[in-house]
Amino acid sequence: MILQKRKKYLQIAINGGLNDARQILPLLPASDNIIVEAGTPLLKELGISAIAEIRAMVSSNTYLVADIKCADLADRAVSMVAGKKTRPIELVPPGATNVTLNDVLQFAKEQFKSRPYIQPLWTQPYQKLRGANAATVLGVAPVETISLFIEECKKSGIDAMVDMMNVETPLAVLKKLKNPPDVVILHRGVDETEFSREKQIPYYQIKQIKGNYDVLVAVAGGDTIREVQRAFFNDADIVVVWKNFFQASSETARLAREFLKEIG
Amino acid sequence: MLKCVNMSILGRKSKHLQIAFNRTIDEVSHMVGLLPASDKLVIEAGTPLVWRYGSEGIAKLNAWWAQKLGKPGYVVADLKTMDRGMREVEAAARAGASAATCLGLAPVETISEFVKNCAAQKIDSMVDMMNVPFPFEVLQKLKKLPDIVVLHRGVDERLRNHEKQIPLDQITRIRGAYGNVLISVAGGETTREVVSDFFNGADIAVVWQTFYEKPEETASLAMDFLKLIK
Repeated sequence: MILQKRKKYLQIAINGGLNDARQILPLLPASDNIIVEAGTPLLKELGISAIAEIRAMVSSNTYLVADIKCADLADRAVSMVAGKKTRPIELVPPGATNVTLNDVLQFAKEQFKSRPYIQPLWTQPYQKLRGANAATVLGVAPVETISLFIEECKKSGIDAMVDMMNVETPLAVLKKLKNPPDVVILHRGVDETEFSREKQIPYYQIKQIKGNYDVLVAVAGGDTIREVQRAFFNDADIVVVWKNFFQASSETARLAREFLKEIG
Repeated sequence: MLKCVNMSILGRKSKHLQIAFNRTIDEVSHMVGLLPASDKLVIEAGTPLVWRYGSEGIAKLNAWWAQKLGKPGYVVADLKTMDRGMREVEAAARAGASAATCLGLAPVETISEFVKNCAAQKIDSMVDMMNVPFPFEVLQKLKKLPDIVVLHRGVDERLRNHEKQIPLDQITRIRGAYGNVLISVAGGETTREVVSDFFNGADIAVVWQTFYEKPEETASLAMDFLKLIK
């Protein structure tokens, strides 16, 4: 896992489009405790290029979450958001002797041809970091998908987050998995929040989950500073916010600064 | 109980074959060009395609298929909406999709909002019942029924768990209860399975894998499947 235990994180979801991202991201204070998320609507509208775009707007060691909400085809989802791991271009063909400069050039050319996504380093300063650091899978998805997703994330070296939206007992889902994910997200959806206000984020589940599994717990669906405080008070490690950020970007920076003051 | 007044342009008169495209955009362009220009085909922008290219991918697919058919075709955006029923539908409709999908696993509020917005955008709403043990329970809770119900066995499920079956017995039961709702079946990949889908009363059968594995044989594969539709 890339994130650290016993540290608190504020995860800021970018949903409104790249213009919003351009307004919001520069205003955020630089801190390890701030996580940036490429939200589902953004990913569905722009595709995975949104990840690269956001990656280019933040500092290179910012932790970036791709909220892909995978429900099937876990291996493809992970390989897409994790970015490509590029092998370096080799200089000499394996087993060759008496190599001339011409051979070297020829061999490099062949390699570029067979792997068209490789570009010379000077045109792609962020090449190694193009992907996301974590991706989400739905807790309501088939168990096979969630398990495969966690395996694939481990292989690609990114964190797996299971989004428990519309899952009544997250523990029952976790119990069925071979390996626990890195992060469990307790989530009240936007539509749920707007159309049935009586639905609450089940804060009591945070301790329940952390007591049984060695995972971080994120809470999503609150959108006021009070709710952020309540989530951390109830032992959440990550709080995901979006609404304020969706509306006015100046609010964003304020909330982020307040958050940093509080945990600092 | 609600009865579905189906407004879908697909209608119940003919069966349809839905082909999902998941390869890179250049390959998909080539594959769509190979397809026979048939009204009985429904083209789907698969979830991986949407992930990779966003609504631009849907728009391109739509343009290519319309060009091939010589008139606007029927393109499904497999969004698998889980939240924010409104925004995703708008984006898909803007890209020219004729239908979009929502997960039956999503909160009821999302599905309702999704169905409502699809109607407002004049596109068909599909509710994907993957991993939903009792599709009835979901349909019951909705204020307005979707145009199409998709019975679906996921790919990961199929490959890693051989016991899971597509609940074909649900087709007649759903139709009996809700009248004209169209039923689509996804998760069977062989001609045998497609025959069985149609035999059990499905209106649409969804395939993708053979096309994904052998893109150069798109034309003959599509013809083979189309022969199954009377």
